[in-house]
Amino acid sequence: MASRYVERFSAKERVLHWFVTIAFFILVFSGLGLYSRLFTGWFDLFGGGKGAILFHKIAGLLFFASSLLLFLSHRKEITTFDEDDRDWVTKRGGYLSREEEHFNSGKFNAGQKLFGIFIGAATVALGVSGVFIWAPTAFPRLIVQFSLLLHGLTFVLAVMFVIVHIYLATIGNPGTLEGMLYGHVRRIWARKHHPKWYREVGE
Amino acid sequence: MGDTRVGFLIDTSRCIGCRSCQVACKQWNKLTVDETRNEGTFENPRDLTSQLYNRIRFVEGDDGKGGVKWSFFNERCLHCGEAGCMKVCPAPGALYRTHEGIVGYNAEKCISCKYCVSACPFNVPRYGGKEEKVSKCHLCLDRVQGGIAPACAKACPTETLKFGRRDDLVAKAKAAKKELYGENDLNGLGVVYALDAPPESYGLPKKPSIPMSIFLWKDVVKPLGILGFWGSIGAMLLHYVTVGPKKLEDENGTQGGDHGK
Ligand code: HEM
Ligand code: SF4
Ligand code: SF4
Ligand code: SF4
Repeated sequence: MASRYVERFSAKERVLHWFVTIAFFILVFSGLGLYSRLFTGWFDLFGGGKGAILFHKIAGLLFFASSLLLFLSHRKEITTFDEDDRDWVTKRGGYLSREEEHFNSGKFNAGQKLFGIFIGAATVALGVSGVFIWAPTAFPRLIVQFSLLLHGLTFVLAVMFVIVHIYLATIGNPGTLEGMLYGHVRRIWARKHHPKWYREVGE
Repeated sequence: MGDTRVGFLIDTSRCIGCRSCQVACKQWNKLTVDETRNEGTFENPRDLTSQLYNRIRFVEGDDGKGGVKWSFFNERCLHCGEAGCMKVCPAPGALYRTHEGIVGYNAEKCISCKYCVSACPFNVPRYGGKEEKVSKCHLCLDRVQGGIAPACAKACPTETLKFGRRDDLVAKAKAAKKELYGENDLNGLGVVYALDAPPESYGLPKKPSIPMSIFLWKDVVKPLGILGFWGSIGAMLLHYVTVGPKKLEDENGTQGGDHGK
């Protein structure tokens, strides 16, 4: 029991998470120029608009497959909510006040679960609409037009949620990133943020 | 645009379906043949292609005496005043408006995203070649800027296709009490029709507009999205300096260590 650390994510989980992240950012940067002519300059990263579209298609396939796998691999933890999660939601995770709040969270708190579900749903929405946008002349116009709208809307929401995710996983909750980088987190971190999970695995 | 805007006035009642316009356009633009199939109608080809910038739609109706009444409709890019294709095109210079109000294109700059066909109220742009670059009627930009009429208008034997200054064409048609299609829609279509039947019977939208999803995508989601992006970053920074992070207690301090456990 001398170790200050407790295992949080296996190497497989970590690689998958960073794979999804890299694919996501390739999609964002290659998609920016397609999103608005304000961002045409981003095409240069990919050798022009045609290159950006090619990168976007490849990264799209990789993101769809890997993100879906990430979701399915924590589906059980992420889609079951209990009383303690409800408490987290009513108090907004304690993020809106400077008072210390304590929540009896399991491996993931309610906010993380909701984020996980959102990303899973967004992955499906982006992937399905992406197929219609890929070959617009092969499908009915109304479906393609709606897909362009859905793809743009989901993209915006995903970027906004990911910004919040990055903040909370880094400077917003010091010590959290260690788990995704090295696989283990400090015991005091686990006890503070995920006490129910810590009781199961750490003590 | 107003004063210098050119366009067509297409009077469907004069058209005899000879398709000289189709042929003239192909010849001037050096377009190749499309393979077509006989599907039991005189209409041929059945759709615009990357090698066919205008065509005659054959609309079969009842003449009231048990026979067939033909209506002919010249289908092409309408050079909309507010052009859906230009609204969505992500490649600068691929679609552009000239000083004459023409919606021209430069296939070299096209990146083949094919957004333009989804945003076009009339389903006009087509994509051809190995690279699938955009193509459509360019209102004979090259000829018009050289001071000659478009090839299709020149070839038309019945003056169905009248080319000229848009204001003059519209004024003349109104003086002749024609029912006009596209005079004011979408900031005025560059190609205005005098139809002798309701627009729907020619397969035209009754009131042309930018498709709803495209409007929401480009005019609502896009600007709000940019706001949302900076808003999220701003909110996180604000959170950091007001509420602040959930810091861990000092590990060597009284509260935090794991020795007691
Ligand atoms: C630089 C970018 C990113 C950083 C620094 C980051 C960091 C992290 C960290 C530290 C965790 C573990 C949280 C914990 O231990 O409780 C995590 C979990 C997770 N990450 Fe990321 N992440 C990033 C980008 C992304 C992206 C782009 C996605 C998906 C599109 C994503 C999806 C997830 C999911 C689904 C989880 C599972 C737990 C949860 O829902 O929070 N991450 N991330
Ligand atoms: S008819 Fe279609 S292709 Fe032509 S200008 Fe209008 S939107 Fe563009
Ligand atoms: S297919 Fe070409 S012309 Fe059409 S929107 Fe895309 S880049 Fe522009
Ligand atoms: S204006 Fe020129 S490009 Fe357009 S249909 Fe007529 S001949 Fe073809």
